[in-house]
Amino acid sequence: MTKKNYITAALSLALAVAIMVYTGMNFLAARDLPWPEQGPSVTDIKLLSDWFPGLKDTNGDTWVYVLQGQKPGGKMLVLGGTHANEVSGYMSAFTFIETAVVEEGTVYVIPYTNHSAMTHNDPGEGNLQYFTLQTKSGARTFRYGSRATNPVDQWPDPDVYVHFPSGQQLSGSETRNINRGYPGREDGNLTEKMAYGVASLIRAENIDLTFDLHEASPEYPVINATVVHQNAIDIGSEGCMNLLLQGIDMALEQSPINFHGLTHRELGDHTETLAILMETANASQGRLRGATTLNQVLGGWDDCYVVSQKLNMLYVPWDENGHPIEERCGRHLQGIYEYSQAFNNAHPDTPIVYSGVPSYAELFTNADPATLGGAHLGSFLM
Amino acid sequence: MIKKISALLLAGALAFSLTACGKEDSVTPPGGNAPAASSGAASSGSGELTGLTEAFAEGPVLLTTGGQSADYQMVGTLMKNLGMEYELNNVATSADLGDAKTLVVVVGGSSKGLGAAGIDADGELARVDELIKGAEDAGLSIIVMHTGGSARRGDLSDKFIAPIFEKADYAIVVKSGDEDGLMAGICTNAGIPADMIDAISDVATVLPKAFK
Repeated sequence: MTKKNYITAALSLALAVAIMVYTGMNFLAARDLPWPEQGPSVTDIKLLSDWFPGLKDTNGDTWVYVLQGQKPGGKMLVLGGTHANEVSGYMSAFTFIETAVVEEGTVYVIPYTNHSAMTHNDPGEGNLQYFTLQTKSGARTFRYGSRATNPVDQWPDPDVYVHFPSGQQLSGSETRNINRGYPGREDGNLTEKMAYGVASLIRAENIDLTFDLHEASPEYPVINATVVHQNAIDIGSEGCMNLLLQGIDMALEQSPINFHGLTHRELGDHTETLAILMETANASQGRLRGATTLNQVLGGWDDCYVVSQKLNMLYVPWDENGHPIEERCGRHLQGIYEYSQAFNNAHPDTPIVYSGVPSYAELFTNADPATLGGAHLGSFLM
Repeated sequence: MIKKISALLLAGALAFSLTACGKEDSVTPPGGNAPAASSGAASSGSGELTGLTEAFAEGPVLLTTGGQSADYQMVGTLMKNLGMEYELNNVATSADLGDAKTLVVVVGGSSKGLGAAGIDADGELARVDELIKGAEDAGLSIIVMHTGGSARRGDLSDKFIAPIFEKADYAIVVKSGDEDGLMAGICTNAGIPADMIDAISDVATVLPKAFK
């Protein structure tokens, strides 16, 4: 080998190491997650491992915000970030924590239910890593994660995922999807342990009402929808009707008995909670989308979906106005309010009463259209 | 020479088939062969959609779904708030009619609902068909609703619409679910009185007017 070759090899090696160091630092930085500020009713911040010690010192452990009211009452759990790429789910959780004034009962909020999934993303999808909003305290940066548990924490995937305890078989990649892992398993993989932790919290605290906040691609049939366990169908019916009365297009669906692992099925079957899941539309998750951009994620603005709508290929109306983050968070937050009101009507002795959380109208319909797409949502955050 | 004649014949046959394809078929309007309505309800049957003008139904009511969407649950909540006497059964058959005098079917397909009920679309269609036949034989009034709007249209929901709406004595439809006029067309052609409403909450206004 000539001297010239040695120099070329050394330079190439140095470049490779530099790239490894840079990307490694970038990857590790994703573990430094932004968390909600303490809103007016936050009385305690605990770890999920306080309910299930098996999660302690793992990347599946996550913060649980406790908002205890002045008076006793019912108990409610809000799950954000079940899928860490479904932005309105965890941003609604942030907004609830930072704005809610709980008067009666106790509300538990988990911003990142699958904490591990928030510590990486799906670069093959061209997804963002971060986005920034101007809030009351200035610019704050938020994460955009992945649907599934970080493979660094749980790897490899089996060819076939066998759900516990039903024995249902799904694609191997679903083994890292926490919303196929409920009710969880004490000695299972990390995803099953996270699900077990949530179920343990529900059992220990006697949670009456559980919300799981999601987004889906516009091509997915169950969208702008609420899915309820059969035990929650009365509350779902009343709440859904009240949402429709306010002009919020919402379909009510009953959880299938033969599709296992999801919150609305397993938490209803294996705990005493009334389990409710809500879906909004996120353009950045769909197959027919254009380039993944910040405007697409936060504004829902995507010309490809305008064309797709004209071709009648979508399950949710789409035009040049898109579906901004304020609309999507507004749907979740108004949904939580209406379903909890329906719960209160059915359980007047143990109500869950709160105020201060921005309504759908405040977040979306009454907003200046020029501020939609993140700026208006940021104005409610601390 | 034979080849040329064959080619000419084939070309002629092709042209003929194209002409046949291009001919505008006569379209049978949906519900065109539906039975005439209705037990006491006013209806022109003359090609113009008319709303209900006269009460015709009596309680108690058996409330069910056609397609297993949860829309029937919301209608049940409205009926409960109205203080109406009803029994709710999403898998009812003719054996469940009991002493009911009116059958209310809320139409809307849901794959999740079908899964929850442990039934497929064809099985659901057969169940509702058997139930409606039983109701007709027993002389029940039949009220059919579509309250889910545009979200309850599409291949699955549409499968249930014509077979059930054709059997109605009275129909209630949320307008946003009938922008193509499918249900209005069925009711118009069969002379079924129908009220087109803006939202599911308007069921609370029109439904009580159907009951004596």
